[in-house]
Amino acid sequence: MSASIIVLIVLALAAVGFFVGRARALATAGGEIRRLHSLPGYYGYNVLIWTVVPALLVLILWLVAQPMLIENRVKSMIPEDAYADSGALSLIMSDVRRVADGLDMAVAQGVIGAGEAESIGPDDIRDRLAGVGVALGSDVSESTLAAAQRYRAMNATGTMIRSVVILLIAAAGFGMAYMRTGADFRARNSVEKVSLGLLIGAASIAILTTVGIVLSLVFNTIEFFKLYPASEFFFGLTWSPSFGGGSELGILPLFWGTFYISLIALAVAVPIGLFAAVYLSEYASPKVRAVAKPLLEVLAGIPTIVYGLFALLTVGPLLVDIFGRDGAIGVNWMSGGTAVMTAGLVMGIMLIPFVSSLSDDIINAVPQAMRDGSLGLGATRSETIKQVVLPAALPGIVGAILLAASRAIGETMIVVLGAGAAAKLSMNPFDAMTTVTAKIVSQLTGDADFASPEALVAFALGMTLFVITLGLNIFALWIVRKYREQYE
Amino acid sequence: MYDSPKTGTAVDQKDIKITARKVQVYYGDTHAIKDVDVQIEDKTVTAFIGPSGCGKSTFLRCINRMNDTIDICRVEGDILLDGEDIYDKRVDPVQLRAKVGMVFQKPNPFPKSIYDNIAYGPRIHGLAKNKAELDEIVEKSLRRGAIWNEVKDRLHAPGTGLSGGQQQRLCIARAVATEPEVLLMDEPCSALDPIATGQVEELIDELRENFSVVIVTHSMQQAARVSQKTAFFHLGNLVEYGETSQIFTNPKDPRTESYITGRIG
Amino acid sequence: MTDAATPMPGATPGKRSSGSLLELDARTRKRNAAEARFKIYGIIAIGIGLLFLVALLFAIVRNGTPAFTQTFISIPVELDEAKLDKTGNRDREEMAKVTTFGYAPLVDTALAKALADKGIENPFEKEKDLRKLVSDSAASQIRDVVLADPALVGQTVEFRLLAASRVDGYMKDRVTRESLARDKNLDAAHLDLVDAMADKGLLAKSFNWDFVFGADASEKRPEQAGIGVAMMGSFFMMLVVLFLALPIGVAASIYLEEFAPKSRWTDLIEVNISNLAAVPSIVFGILGLAVFIQFAELPQSAPIVGGLVLTLMTLPTIIISTRASLKAVPPSIRDAALGVGASKMQSVFHHVLPLAMPGILTGTIIGLAQALGETAPLLLIGMVGFIASNYPDGFTDGFLSPNSAMPAQIYEWAKRADPAYYERAWGGIIILLLFLMTMNIIAIILRRKFERRW
Repeated sequence: MSASIIVLIVLALAAVGFFVGRARALATAGGEIRRLHSLPGYYGYNVLIWTVVPALLVLILWLVAQPMLIENRVKSMIPEDAYADSGALSLIMSDVRRVADGLDMAVAQGVIGAGEAESIGPDDIRDRLAGVGVALGSDVSESTLAAAQRYRAMNATGTMIRSVVILLIAAAGFGMAYMRTGADFRARNSVEKVSLGLLIGAASIAILTTVGIVLSLVFNTIEFFKLYPASEFFFGLTWSPSFGGGSELGILPLFWGTFYISLIALAVAVPIGLFAAVYLSEYASPKVRAVAKPLLEVLAGIPTIVYGLFALLTVGPLLVDIFGRDGAIGVNWMSGGTAVMTAGLVMGIMLIPFVSSLSDDIINAVPQAMRDGSLGLGATRSETIKQVVLPAALPGIVGAILLAASRAIGETMIVVLGAGAAAKLSMNPFDAMTTVTAKIVSQLTGDADFASPEALVAFALGMTLFVITLGLNIFALWIVRKYREQYE
Repeated sequence: MYDSPKTGTAVDQKDIKITARKVQVYYGDTHAIKDVDVQIEDKTVTAFIGPSGCGKSTFLRCINRMNDTIDICRVEGDILLDGEDIYDKRVDPVQLRAKVGMVFQKPNPFPKSIYDNIAYGPRIHGLAKNKAELDEIVEKSLRRGAIWNEVKDRLHAPGTGLSGGQQQRLCIARAVATEPEVLLMDEPCSALDPIATGQVEELIDELRENFSVVIVTHSMQQAARVSQKTAFFHLGNLVEYGETSQIFTNPKDPRTESYITGRIG
Repeated sequence: MTDAATPMPGATPGKRSSGSLLELDARTRKRNAAEARFKIYGIIAIGIGLLFLVALLFAIVRNGTPAFTQTFISIPVELDEAKLDKTGNRDREEMAKVTTFGYAPLVDTALAKALADKGIENPFEKEKDLRKLVSDSAASQIRDVVLADPALVGQTVEFRLLAASRVDGYMKDRVTRESLARDKNLDAAHLDLVDAMADKGLLAKSFNWDFVFGADASEKRPEQAGIGVAMMGSFFMMLVVLFLALPIGVAASIYLEEFAPKSRWTDLIEVNISNLAAVPSIVFGILGLAVFIQFAELPQSAPIVGGLVLTLMTLPTIIISTRASLKAVPPSIRDAALGVGASKMQSVFHHVLPLAMPGILTGTIIGLAQALGETAPLLLIGMVGFIASNYPDGFTDGFLSPNSAMPAQIYEWAKRADPAYYERAWGGIIILLLFLMTMNIIAIILRRKFERRW
């Protein structure tokens, strides 16, 4: 019985349970709702929950555990001299699974009889399976076929036991909840306890996500450092992956590109964003503010792919026209449209609303009394802003800039399209360079083998990126929170 | 040019510093101040009293045009400082506020050192030619603010680290540092404890030697203690204006009497 | 207070010349100039920001609108029986043996004949040279029609064929005679011909529905590429996001806002959520690759995986906005419900949640819009690099079979480095932005309509 059929049966049972539970509650109360502890629906839900939840939880566990158990058993059947290392073993195991699945499929389609499937020899299995659309790469060895047969057998037994156990659990839950149903049973409290559990579960997904991110980065990074020395990764000055082997995977050129582009982006976004925020919060009339603020924020709602295309196709060529060969100012600094300057400039545009709306909030949090104090002494508005408001808001603004920096470091699409692909350590902002994020994309979207250092390095890069941005974020959020508390 | 006020007693020998004639203030559609006429004397403490929302603070803020910072606020009528209309188009409010200083309800020291708090005004107005002069101004202002002895050893500590009463005296010293001619105080003691209040009141009395002081207060006892002249505001009208002793002992208007005896407020 | 008000001996520094208020002194004038300058800096900053916005929108509209029109060549094609159905028994299986190569000469002949009919001089000796005017897809278009209705063989049928991408580019001023100099796909002579054909009405531009609803095409046929299939991919991903992120986000927010005790665990969750909101999106892509594809072995490039990744990415946004709208419901509502004997759970689900719903929906729509435009994580789970050429067969297929998504499709086109594909990429952006705009407008309307002041 397949898992989805079991689920359907359990759900049907639960639906029955809802009505039965409700009816029983009403019956024990002699039809008088007032004599029940809870509304009749709660009794129904109680039976429903007890039927579904334990059964499905066990089913999920089973679905995860059964393949692992069987795999371990079957693995031991492969003779040790058949494989050189763990990588080769996993290849054999995937062959085993493929043969076993192929046989199942063949039986299901009626091409092979169930008995024949168990006795089929290693010689004709390839042809027979090709007939049902399962292509096997190489000849099937004796041990692989034996393992596949064993795998099938264990799977079949496991699935059968699974069906029985799950249905029994569902029935037991149903029965227990049904027996407990009575006028005095506190059905609502019971149902609410389960609901609260679900709510807690939903809230914990945030933690699970972080754990998932950390685990997926850590495991693969460890794999990478087994294949490539960490010191060369962190201190290497050259980045030249070659999928044939002999790659040099030093992160420093990528760091430099990331840093340089972020710096230019902040040099664009911070002054513009800050002045815009100051103007909007201190000078602008409500009408101007109501128009200009949302318009600026439109910039924040535009997807990054749009900025990437804008960098690649509009800003890049424009900069080449100015700074390139035969350009408007005749300096020949720039040879191609993709460059640090292109990506940095466009990223700066993207960050303007980010800086301005965060700073706007922070400037508004400076108490009016400060401004009054300064104006009352005969200071002009600009003197008040420069010497009282901005110094008071400084910690918050620094926090906002750090958040923007973390955005810039983690931004992907603009640099993938606008910055170029060459990892270079250069000072010229019109050179093409590349970043950590761009290299994560290029190392993982190729056809590389996941076990090679050239692909695994992406996880080490991701780990580095995650640690840096997380550090920046935590620090920045802490500063901003401290700042807010000061004026609350 | 000195008309005798309608409701006040006769003008004595002191100079008139500020004259208000037919002042109206509107907040949007609300008529907050109605037809206020008053003459404020130099080297005198004048107290504005009245129930909450009667317009006394609003009127105070008109005298140094702090109301300009509120978009919906509109002022009509004339307010003359030494005979010059402060709402004249040619008047720069920044220059006016240097002459008419203000101290606020809640102490609002800037998040800077004590020294920089005091030096802020002199710096923006360019009152000191060099560091030595600035030091001199700071010391003099802190002495005038009656706080010099408490802070002289920690001039570079943050002003926000002082106690509430000290902060308010710091703010008064800060206002004094720009050498104003008039000092406006908007309920300067309402956020302070009784001891600090006593110190600030004593200071106000001393400030009278050099400035014309206008103080808004909620407390009638305070008005009686510190002021020579008192104006009673009610619902946006200036009801009665005169010598403090006369207002408190022999009010002419029944509304003043009701307020002083505690029947309205 | 003995230290107060001691008069300073000698010339007192800090004494201002007490001039008339009506005259500005030099210093005030200088300070006012500085004030005006400062104000102008602010205006300039806002001006630059808005200028960037205008430049961006201008670039999008100018470069993208041509993608919505397409040049077609309308000519009668004689479906020659000798070439298409040698046996003459109209048997579909047999006719299917004639590949598109067999159909190509029909197009050549038809073109030559059409030119002759209209009295346009054909500068080429070989009919085959004319083929460069039409898209490579023309032959398969004719073949599809013939195989669908074998009875047409032998007749002359009017066809509307896609023009080649360079001809299309010439009609849209993207391709000029100068730029053709180094291009061996088309000669200047072809362009003269195109001018003449346009003159006689053989060739015309019209609205390009295929771009909006069509499928992606191979690298060599930009004129045939459309964004429709990728749109379906995005649609199925948004379904996953909506049906996972909304309930989970609302449940998490209810717990954190209404039930959570102040404990370390709660603090940990809160810190986690605010940090997840700021984690770079590419890291979520890595998570999706490692957990959903490597570990859970879900199919690569499938919208369900994209949807799961985007759900995790959108959750913090939804939780933050949902909590804000729950917080905006005044405690008096909760007290009222508890006061008449409802349980805490009932007060939340019966009273607080319905009141907070408009705010929650607004936040969800904005979260969805954010997810719709996200590209980076999709690159890592393989939603690029192949041709999304078929609409999914059904509902489950929509979730499970490989597809692309709108932003990923745009990225794919941008990578193909052909100006004709750049035009499609810009056009795709217009469609994407239209969707985002619609979603944001709905969110704004919802907020306006249900805005409540307590």
